[in-house]
Amino acid sequence: MMIPSPRARHGIFILLRRLRQPMQALILVYAVAVLGFTLIPGVDPQGEPWKMSFLHAFYFVSFLGTTIGLGEIPFPFSDAQRLWATASIYGTVVAWLYAIGSLFNVLQDPLFRRIQHENKAERAVRRLKQPFYLLCGYDDAGNRVARELTDDGTRLVVVDADQLRVDAVDVDDLSITVPALCGDASDPATMLLAGLTNGHCAGVLALTGDDTINTKIALTANLLNPDVPILCAAHDHAFHGRMAAAGADYIINPNDQFAERVGISMRTPSLHVIYESLTTQSGTAMDKAPELPRGRWVLCGSDLFTRTLNRQLKRLEIETIVIDPRLPEGKEDEGHVRGDPHDPDVLREAGLEDAAALVAGADTDIDNLSITLAARAINKSLFIIARQTQRRNTPLFRVCGADLVTLSGYVIAAEVLRVIRAPQLATFLRRARGEDEVWASALLKRMHDVIGKEVVESWSIEISPAEAETACEGLTRGEVVTLRHLMTRESGRSRLVHAVPLLFQRGTERELLPDVDQPLKLGDRILFCGDAQARATMRLNLSDYRLPLLYGRTEPRRAPPEPAVETPPK
Amino acid sequence: MSTERVLFAFVIVLALTLNVGFVVGDFSDIAHHNVYELFAALVVSLIATVMKFGDRTPLGSTMLATSLVADLQLIAAAATWGFYSSATVVLATHQSATVVSLAVGAVVANVVSVVLLIIEMANLRR
Repeated sequence: MMIPSPRARHGIFILLRRLRQPMQALILVYAVAVLGFTLIPGVDPQGEPWKMSFLHAFYFVSFLGTTIGLGEIPFPFSDAQRLWATASIYGTVVAWLYAIGSLFNVLQDPLFRRIQHENKAERAVRRLKQPFYLLCGYDDAGNRVARELTDDGTRLVVVDADQLRVDAVDVDDLSITVPALCGDASDPATMLLAGLTNGHCAGVLALTGDDTINTKIALTANLLNPDVPILCAAHDHAFHGRMAAAGADYIINPNDQFAERVGISMRTPSLHVIYESLTTQSGTAMDKAPELPRGRWVLCGSDLFTRTLNRQLKRLEIETIVIDPRLPEGKEDEGHVRGDPHDPDVLREAGLEDAAALVAGADTDIDNLSITLAARAINKSLFIIARQTQRRNTPLFRVCGADLVTLSGYVIAAEVLRVIRAPQLATFLRRARGEDEVWASALLKRMHDVIGKEVVESWSIEISPAEAETACEGLTRGEVVTLRHLMTRESGRSRLVHAVPLLFQRGTERELLPDVDQPLKLGDRILFCGDAQARATMRLNLSDYRLPLLYGRTEPRRAPPEPAVETPPK
Repeated sequence: MSTERVLFAFVIVLALTLNVGFVVGDFSDIAHHNVYELFAALVVSLIATVMKFGDRTPLGSTMLATSLVADLQLIAAAATWGFYSSATVVLATHQSATVVSLAVGAVVANVVSVVLLIIEMANLRR
């Protein structure tokens, strides 16, 4: 039996308590009217005196009160009865309207509706029998994450303080029904209601636009459910430390991410290609890196986006000029101009005519669009990066003439999805950033040679009995299992599948590009990239057949259907 | 002493007394039982039920439950009486016994209700 939560009972009792008076009034008025009809004498068609029975009286009053009025039954009324009926009409109809009015009033009551909404969300969360992510904040980032995750078949619960956004969850046509709760995510009660301590909660995504609220969410989640992974979006660096202290496992800063991407594509273009091919659904190792100009950059804007990017560009030894409308008086220097970036004179003063790139990084979309247009009028060959803050303005940005548009919500969403889908990939990419172009181009060349034009996929393997049955069997027999064993096609003795091991993790130890002869131990995790076929082959190697080189002469446990090796992954 | 408490106790005890008043007499003889008394017992019982609405204490919930039982029994008694009397003018022995025994069930529920009321009052004292 399901025991209703305290709140569920609450709703019904509020309804009942508010209806106490109207119902008492209704019962009393009915009782008096019915009693009156049974006492007042009438005359039947034969002229005999007659009194209504309780059954008839109740029947008559019932249709009288509800204004249905079927007529005088069972015989035409006497004058005395009609007098009483007239009085009853007014009494019962008023009592009815009062009762019905009160009922609708309670149903419309904001408090009652709120309780109902919470109960509904709570029930929906309780019915989830699969792992789900608790997504706090449903703006551009949250929306994108929800769309992609539900497309993958992953369950979600959405919490947002704004009723409009909660309604959007229903309107947005996500591929799975997503329970949505309207409430303040920084309130622990809301988080509990949304299933924070539910055994199926697989992670908390704090993607509200407010760093303070995100920190509070991380803190709440960490204290109430210490095992659950927490992803936090942060815009201000000052909050990184607080979020980490509050227990956030991943902190995602869209400004940092973007600046980092710009930095990577300038410093190590090959890594940028690797990055893109690994993280987008259709990327290949043959793609070209975008060519960002290395000349002078003009940055417009006054907040963290511009400052972070400026710092990154300085590190790459690129000349920058910041046009900051909110620069304090007297702070102007070679790299900083105070003025309105919409003004062509200010743009010219900042040397836009011979600049190589312009970043429209103000915090409103209208400003960025008009800066883009103004700058394009001055310098036709300029490389323009426009910052978009709201998704609904996408049609405008698409035609405004910017060479690159960045939407911080999407930057956050992409990172969140990367962490969720392939946690090892994030580790690999973070590690790879530390390497130089020589390393990156060598890896890219290896990917070219091994994978070719195929779409690059990435996948993780854990040497655990659940995921790698055959390898574990081999290990328990004391045999040496290496990556080469996992990567060899059963038929072709020494030919390796088209895959490159990217990252090897043993405990806290991490190694980039491990050797294929690396011996494996239980609990090791390896990240691979390669084509779809390689992935399928490796999956078969790990589960269905004995490892090829390990038991070269023994028969496969099951006769392998010949084309099975070639089947693409599910 | 508050008017609300007095009224509450009044209605609950009245529901019991009216109910007992109706039941007392020969089971098989409907002449011993007044239809107006049954009507009054039913109305008072309904009002007592509504008065107990919205009390979230465990005792309050139990009282509401007993009241609902009393309502159910009395409505059943009234409905049976109405149904039987539509066919015959005077109820047969078996028929009147059915009506009255249904009302007796309501008496039990009302007694429990009054006992709970007394328990609640005793608790309030402390």
